[in-house]
Amino acid sequence: MFTKQMISSEIPMLMSKACEIFIQELTFRAWMHAEKNNKSIVQPCDVAKVIMQTDTMNFLTEIIPNNLGDFSVFDAKEENIANIAEENEVSLSFTAGFMGNPMMKMDSEENAGNIVEGNQATLPYTSGFMGNPMNMMNMDNVRMK
Amino acid sequence: MGDNNIGKVLEREGFKYNFTAAASDTSAQDEVIKEQDRLLPIANVGRIMKQILPPNAKISKEAKETMQECVSEFISFVTGEASDKCHKEKRKTVNGDDICWALATLGFDDYSEPLKRYLHKYREFEGERANQNKGNNNTYENNIANI
Repeated sequence: MFTKQMISSEIPMLMSKACEIFIQELTFRAWMHAEKNNKSIVQPCDVAKVIMQTDTMNFLTEIIPNNLGDFSVFDAKEENIANIAEENEVSLSFTAGFMGNPMMKMDSEENAGNIVEGNQATLPYTSGFMGNPMNMMNMDNVRMK
Repeated sequence: MGDNNIGKVLEREGFKYNFTAAASDTSAQDEVIKEQDRLLPIANVGRIMKQILPPNAKISKEAKETMQECVSEFISFVTGEASDKCHKEKRKTVNGDDICWALATLGFDDYSEPLKRYLHKYREFEGERANQNKGNNNTYENNIANI
């Protein structure tokens, strides 16, 4: 059962200012992300990544288009791992060569190479990826400095 | 089939809309929120986005549209929290202090403090304007009485 509620005359003024601050914060963070990746244009994927990486923005995760969401979640996790590694001075070598889509099942390096060569125009982001990332993720590679 | 429309929830593009209507009200059954009513104007959103960025920065149309969606959700998120507070306290009217409280509760502490100051200034300004209007009305009434 919904009850009708009223709003005072100051609410539109206050919410418009809050929205202005919110837009500017999210835009600036997205632009910083774009600039970090040497891009001059802010794209939805930059906004998506900011949403994934900022705790207070987590309520927006449902809004992000599904195709962006998959990449954003993965990238956010990977960047988070990198940040933890920097803070704790741990080198996580298994994340170094991975540049592709984690959903792609690539069994061998040859197979990966063939796929990359075959789809060079359509899948440029797979160029650095060789092999199944799950095979590389063994904790033997983690070493303390 | 006499579809009861009370508390009907329309789900579209990840958003939930609540419509409260009497069961006899047929116009509410056809009610669908238009895109321009659901989102803030894209030109205004784009202008606010440009203000914070350097002149050489560019923003894609898709990013502006994503931002529109985000802001609409932000408004719902904050006002929903403020509305819940008023409902629990059995108050009918949501005021500025409730919005500031909701922002602080939801983790937007950085917004809450500046907006409290902004609200305080707004109330002062409104108070002064009300006093001016009151003064003008009194003068007008005195002039009428003297005629």
